[in-house]
Amino acid sequence: MDFMLKLTLYVYCAAIVAYIVREVWRANTMRWVAFGVLSSGFILNTILVLTRWAEAHHAPMSDKFESFVFFAWSIALVYLIFELVTIFIVKVHESRIGIIGALQCVLIAWMIYFALQTDSTIKELPPALQSNWLVTHVICYFLSYSALSMSFSAAIVYLIHRWIFSGKQKVADVVESGSQFKKDYSFDKLAYIAVSIGFPFLTIGLITGAIWAKGAWGTYWGWDPKEIWSLISWLVYLTYMHLPLMLPKTSIKKSFRPILLSIILLIAFPIVLFTFMGLHKLPTSADSDHIYAE
Amino acid sequence: MAKAAEPQQRKSRNDSKVWEILCSVRLAVIIIVTMAVACILGTVILQQKSPEEYVGRYGTGIAKFFSAIQLTDIFHSYWFSLLLILLCVNLGCCTVKRWRNKVLMIGFLVTHISIILILVGCVVDLLTGVKGGVNIYEGKSVDYYLTRPDYQKVPLGFQVFCDDFVIEKHPPKYKLITYVKDKDKQKAVSLKVGKKISIPGTNYAATVKELIDDAEVLHEPINVSDEPDNPALYIQLSANDNVTAEGWLLAKDRNWYNDTQRDLKIDYVWADNDEAHERLINAAAKNSTKPTLEIRIEGTNIVKNVLVEKGNKVSIEGTDYVIEIKEFALDYSKRLVPLSEQEPNNPAVMVEISGPQGKDSRWSFSKYPDYQDKAHKTIYKDVKLLCTVPENFSDAKNRVRIVQNRSGKQTITYIKDGKVISTIDWVLGQNYNIADSELQIRIVKYFPSYSLKKTVVKKTGGHEGHNHGPSEHHGNPAILIEMEGPRGKYAEWVFAHTPPHWYPDNNFAVLYEQSGMEIKDYKSILRVVENGKTMVTKTIEVNNALKYKGFVFYQSSYDPEGERYTGLQVTKNPGLLVVYTGFILLCLGIVFIFYVKPFLRRKLNKGKKIEEYYSEEEMLAEHIE
Repeated sequence: MDFMLKLTLYVYCAAIVAYIVREVWRANTMRWVAFGVLSSGFILNTILVLTRWAEAHHAPMSDKFESFVFFAWSIALVYLIFELVTIFIVKVHESRIGIIGALQCVLIAWMIYFALQTDSTIKELPPALQSNWLVTHVICYFLSYSALSMSFSAAIVYLIHRWIFSGKQKVADVVESGSQFKKDYSFDKLAYIAVSIGFPFLTIGLITGAIWAKGAWGTYWGWDPKEIWSLISWLVYLTYMHLPLMLPKTSIKKSFRPILLSIILLIAFPIVLFTFMGLHKLPTSADSDHIYAE
Repeated sequence: MAKAAEPQQRKSRNDSKVWEILCSVRLAVIIIVTMAVACILGTVILQQKSPEEYVGRYGTGIAKFFSAIQLTDIFHSYWFSLLLILLCVNLGCCTVKRWRNKVLMIGFLVTHISIILILVGCVVDLLTGVKGGVNIYEGKSVDYYLTRPDYQKVPLGFQVFCDDFVIEKHPPKYKLITYVKDKDKQKAVSLKVGKKISIPGTNYAATVKELIDDAEVLHEPINVSDEPDNPALYIQLSANDNVTAEGWLLAKDRNWYNDTQRDLKIDYVWADNDEAHERLINAAAKNSTKPTLEIRIEGTNIVKNVLVEKGNKVSIEGTDYVIEIKEFALDYSKRLVPLSEQEPNNPAVMVEISGPQGKDSRWSFSKYPDYQDKAHKTIYKDVKLLCTVPENFSDAKNRVRIVQNRSGKQTITYIKDGKVISTIDWVLGQNYNIADSELQIRIVKYFPSYSLKKTVVKKTGGHEGHNHGPSEHHGNPAILIEMEGPRGKYAEWVFAHTPPHWYPDNNFAVLYEQSGMEIKDYKSILRVVENGKTMVTKTIEVNNALKYKGFVFYQSSYDPEGERYTGLQVTKNPGLLVVYTGFILLCLGIVFIFYVKPFLRRKLNKGKKIEEYYSEEEMLAEHIE
């Protein structure tokens, strides 16, 4: 298991390099090399998830180790689907996704690295987790987190682009649509698409969580730190969704609006990550039975 | 008229302004952001604690400020409720304002209405619902519950019996932990047989060679050399061809056996030469060493030793004491049976001390010399008694002594009442009659250099002495670890339930430990009785509650000390249907907005340009350029 995990980590690290090379040297062959490396990492990751499932006799998403591996798997899955859809269905050049692939791979590798640091012994499911909602609830959340991580990467890329081209902003407005430059500029749109994929899953995850809590403990909502923080991340993305409707009625400059939205995404995803793995740092987490055991 | 109309107009203009604000996205965003900030505060500041705790944690000033603006219980505060009400109003107004009977509007309407439904449902639950809990002892019943958080007794209108409560546990798991002392590093390693694991921070590599779920140590006697370093005999006693006793006697260790029923003692001694051999045979005839009693008078130098024999009486010079030995037992708890039938478990002597203040008798235990002084009233506290019983002490009338020496002479001597009856040479495997009795003795094996070989094997046989069923039996697992290090390879058995096993340089240890029995399930068998009739019986567990007459009973806690009672959460949620409708609508609506609407719109408007079917607002919302 340890060896497989390390191998997966190395393959994902190779994928980071491959995606950077692809972005710098936009050759057609490189497109498939990068895709192939990430896919093989994903296959290894799938084997990890499946063997764990078979060994543990429960869905491999109940403790810290399992959720790190599963999160890595779902990020890779969502990104690969996204790339395939972009190339084959939407039929746009993959530069529309650009360096995001590399950023996603960094996140995946980071998760696998965390998994290597955590205790991988198989634990039995505590009574509260012995429910069919576990699979639905957790899968919804991880798919959502994966899509939202992509919006985070896109927001970073967008802001970097804006920063690089900040001197040439007027030029950017003048450039006709359809040019390469314009396409590179549309990472804010990509971020929106990623959020619109992830947000419904975030909502469903929140609601299945409430239904599960009702079935297990008798209350939909107990103001537990984990519940509160998942609400916070939901509210932040809700804000992101509503802001474009509000901004035209304010005095904020039109060219600054996408920057503001990207900054919100930049704040939102760390909140999601904090909800996922940082809650034990809170003073209120001592009373909670919702947080992964250390 | 004109004057009268003016305020009317202004009012309507004001109305519309308020209406505009209530409908606005701006208000929505402000509410959402405020809620998010409140939530963050609600997890950073400890909630619902005692005022003293806040003062201790944040200081008086800040603690006062917090409680004044209800930051100590944000989620039950007035302003947070107000925020939720405002959100509902905002959602309602905005929904009304934007209502269009168009297919593409479904998502918007459904999501916004569903959130109102959820909030309204929760308010209904809060006002008319029940949230409480009750503990039921096993075999007992309740007809009430206690409200939360103020613990008021409220009658249920029926009885709930807890017929049984059980905590099911998983069988224990074991893990192998390695520990490196100088780096203070601990790591759980794989227990897979045959897998080599290098221990981080050391030059060691461990391989689990064998794993036994339920192991025991067998001590197999072996002979390690022909030199008589530790001579031992395996002896069988038989009566009428039935073996009555057998075992090893070690000349230099446990060299005797008492047959209390037959008043017989067998011992085995080793002589260095023939002369000593003779002496040892005859020594057995004289009565063996007797127990002695040491009498010490505290505060003086007087010490006197006496043989422990019934009726032995000594007067202690220099004092007025006369001490008489009244009784002797090898096993105090069996002091009423004849001495020859007692095993030397707890030897004790009873003495009577006559002195200036009259007679005083006491038991003195050889294992607990000063026992009397602590537990009982005793007159002569300065008399200290110490009874010593030689290990080979025997009161047996019949004795068998087996003697062997270096030159190869080996004899067996039968002694009765202190007289040698016969001495014969013996050979291995031959039966010898013990004169005067039906017993036969046979020396089966002779090991000049006796030693024990430890082998670890799978435990066989039943569960004697264990007070549980076979399925509950958890063994004592052991693993054979081969450690490869700077000093070469060697394998050792490590047992669970033992202290850490340290390796030579004392810097590195392995611990094979049980990681605790994890809880599998909490189960309560509940029975609802109304008007003397059993209405429902159900085994509830976490994630599986009992419903009766709108009440729902959840397994929520238990008696942590004795598992004597089960803790139930009792709820009644009249708003459940509304809330669940809201949940389902929210899911459907949000899926419609993001996964159905974009495709539906394109299909509905095939052939049209984007600008024709998107409103400006929608294009902004969906980042369409």
